[in-house]
Amino acid sequence: MISFKNASVTYPGGVHALRDVTLDIPPGQMIVIVGLSGAGKSTLIRAINGLVPLTGGDVRVDGRSVTQASGRQLRELRAEVGMIFQTFNLVKRTTVLNNVLMGRMHGTAWWRTLLGRYPADDLEYAMRALERVEIVEKAYVRASNLSGGQQQRVGIARALAQEPKVLLADEPVASLDPPTSHVVMRDLQRINRELGITTIVNLHFLDLARQYGERIIGLREGDIVFDGRGEDADEQVFRDIYGRSLTADDVLEAKAEL
Amino acid sequence: MSAAGVESAPSRQRRPARPRRSPWAYVSVIAFLALTWWAGSDRFGIGFSVPELIENATRAGGIVSDFLDPQWIYWTALIGPFIETFQMAVIGGVIGCSIALVVAFLASKVTTPNTAAYLADKALLNILRALPDILYALVFVAAVGIGPLAGIIALILFNIGVVAKLLSETVDGVDLGPSEAAQAAGGNRFQQIRAAVFPQVLPNYLAFSLYTFELNLRASTVLGIVGAGGIGTLINVERAAFRYDRIAVIIVAIFVIVFVVESISIALRRRLV
Amino acid sequence: MTKLDTPIAAVSQARPRRPRATGRLLLNAALAVLFLGAALTVEVDLTRLLEAPAAIWRILVLMFSAPDWSELERASGLMLESIHIAWIGTIMGAILSLPLAFLAAKNVTSRTGSTVVRQVLNAIRAVPELILAIAFIPIVGLGAFAGTMAIGLHSIGTLGKLASEAIEGIDPGPVEAATSVGAPRMAVMRWGVLPQVLPEIVAFWLYRFEINIRAAAILGIVGAGGIGEGLSQTIIYRRWDRAGVYVIVIVLATVAIDAVSSRIRRRIIGGGDRAIKTEADMVTDGHGQSGPDPAKGPNPRDFG
Ligand SMILES: Nc1ncnc2c1ncn2[C@@H]1O[C@H](COP(=O)(O)OP(=O)(O)O)[C@@H](O)[C@H]1O
Ligand SMILES: [Mg+2]
Repeated sequence: MISFKNASVTYPGGVHALRDVTLDIPPGQMIVIVGLSGAGKSTLIRAINGLVPLTGGDVRVDGRSVTQASGRQLRELRAEVGMIFQTFNLVKRTTVLNNVLMGRMHGTAWWRTLLGRYPADDLEYAMRALERVEIVEKAYVRASNLSGGQQQRVGIARALAQEPKVLLADEPVASLDPPTSHVVMRDLQRINRELGITTIVNLHFLDLARQYGERIIGLREGDIVFDGRGEDADEQVFRDIYGRSLTADDVLEAKAEL
Repeated sequence: MSAAGVESAPSRQRRPARPRRSPWAYVSVIAFLALTWWAGSDRFGIGFSVPELIENATRAGGIVSDFLDPQWIYWTALIGPFIETFQMAVIGGVIGCSIALVVAFLASKVTTPNTAAYLADKALLNILRALPDILYALVFVAAVGIGPLAGIIALILFNIGVVAKLLSETVDGVDLGPSEAAQAAGGNRFQQIRAAVFPQVLPNYLAFSLYTFELNLRASTVLGIVGAGGIGTLINVERAAFRYDRIAVIIVAIFVIVFVVESISIALRRRLV
Repeated sequence: MTKLDTPIAAVSQARPRRPRATGRLLLNAALAVLFLGAALTVEVDLTRLLEAPAAIWRILVLMFSAPDWSELERASGLMLESIHIAWIGTIMGAILSLPLAFLAAKNVTSRTGSTVVRQVLNAIRAVPELILAIAFIPIVGLGAFAGTMAIGLHSIGTLGKLASEAIEGIDPGPVEAATSVGAPRMAVMRWGVLPQVLPEIVAFWLYRFEINIRAAAILGIVGAGGIGEGLSQTIIYRRWDRAGVYVIVIVLATVAIDAVSSRIRRRIIGGGDRAIKTEADMVTDGHGQSGPDPAKGPNPRDFG
């Protein structure tokens, strides 16, 4: 479904965020990427939908090259790849429904975008997406009036409304408290299982990674240093990925006890 | 009681010397005084002279008494020109603010990543704003003739300058997250702006627009002085006829209009943002 | 629709009804009626607006393709007069507005007293400078002095209002301290209030000076001195090549003075701990009337 071939990203400052990464992700998998802050997790995920361009190598989604796509092709590709953000990235001053309808934006006529009038079909998609994350009753509420967990579910609904083949989630629970984190992670897991959407999640809590990751990929300074099943990733593995001994900050539940 | 009422324990603390003022303080005071003298002096500046002032004031006695004794009944003559003032403010405001919406997005690097394009737009806005509205009116009266059309064009330009500048600064400060989300969903630039940026700045845009409507009414009361329509037109007529008792009525009317409109506009704006 | 058709976990969820947007609809309708009403009744053929871009372009070409630089000396001299008018007018306004600002501040003066003074300031502000100049000319004669008086008077209104709002936003601590040592009222104002607000108020003065430059550039239109006189003459006689020189001089002078003045303002306010109030702030909090500046934190305003 997604394949990186010798992919590298070097930022203008000279930071090598990805070094020669080669990686294959089959359809339907739920993958968790772990690594310290700055390891290159966000870069890896953003390379998949072209928000960060590669400086070397190639990445393909469903057989189509992201690096060689034209502007229009890239937008088409993005329409099939949903994305969920750490800070939710909702337009807070408008309704939940308008936010979710953003997921239907691709291919909408310009005048419809201008007037904010989406076709009935798109409205139906948006409503169903909201139903799937069980927040449809908030459809006409302003996004700013929701709690963090609710906002992230709207973020998920926005991605789902795209009818994506792939779901990318960049630290989706980093701004949430532990119980809410589990709710959101379970939503993602359910979506992955029920709809068979390939799901890639960045996390930095090792317990969450082990619990939800079918497959775990460890990144360190732009290199893949671990690639294996969730149950095989014991504490030693995480020490290797992080390059240091583990602390209370590395687990979600310990934080809750503090 | 001894001096200062305190017998301090002998200590090794040294009292600091009073810090010296920076020489810049003196330089700026002298510069300020020199500038003011220069600007106020008879030979170079505005020619402030008390004797002349007294002479003028005594000579003007008749005019002042006219001023203080307004011909109130004259207000009926103001109704028509006032309606014209209002029409000019509405038309100029709606058209100007609509154009400003587009110009503002072109003048922010958030929505116009092309550096040359948005810098050019920003520079244009700065020039547009450097000139007062009535100056535009002066030019357009010469170009399209006496009457409210010149005033409307002047107001349109003036409003583009004000609203586009303020709004583009608001756009500079929006949360970029939603825009990234729209981009990730496959939206093109126009869609990103419409769906992710525009809702964030809409309340500010409405507030700025109301504000310019208020400025418009204020401005369109004086545009008539250069022949661009509205209530100011009467000022010229009555001035030429030395009817200061009527000018007093016009001034009171302008004052009331501006005052009322400003109060309404402030109340509305406060509810918006 | 295949994927979304997969059954959703059996939680019964009712879709909410779309709320009616009556208010917004009414507002839009009112605006449309207002605009159409104005556009249809105004005694102008509005299709002529479509000629405007061409007319503007033609004038721009006439003005700037070959400016008559021989006019530069006169234009600069008159611009200098405008700057003088703005300078003296601003100083007049600054000096006279300061005591009025204290009288208009709710936390310094009694409620009724402050309301009265505030309304007086609002009233002064409501009359445009140009109109004030027209009123002054018969009293003090044609020329720069009338313009200076007009600008000075108008500035009393605007500066007094801004300064009184700054005073209302002060930290009451130092005032309590000064009062608690038994200082007389004047001393409380001088040492408890003034030091807190002076930087901000001086910044307002400079800001007003920038605005007054623009105002002083047009006063000449009614004969109250400055560059406006020369400009309106060249335009009336359609000497566009000369008018262009005037416009260039005005733009350069205002832009240059803005640059210097805003730099000084920023230094006075001292980057960071105090927010510089921008025009946008004034608009969105209703000319600052809603008072507390969020950057300054909590603002307990009623004391004394
Ligand atoms: N836009 C950018 N410009 C320059 N350097 C960047 C940029 N984004 C990220 N980096 C650098 O690239 C490295 C990887 O960043 P990132 O992918 O965000 O890591 P993670 O998501 O794992 O915290 C970091 O060292 C970061 O400082
Ligand atoms: Mg990251």
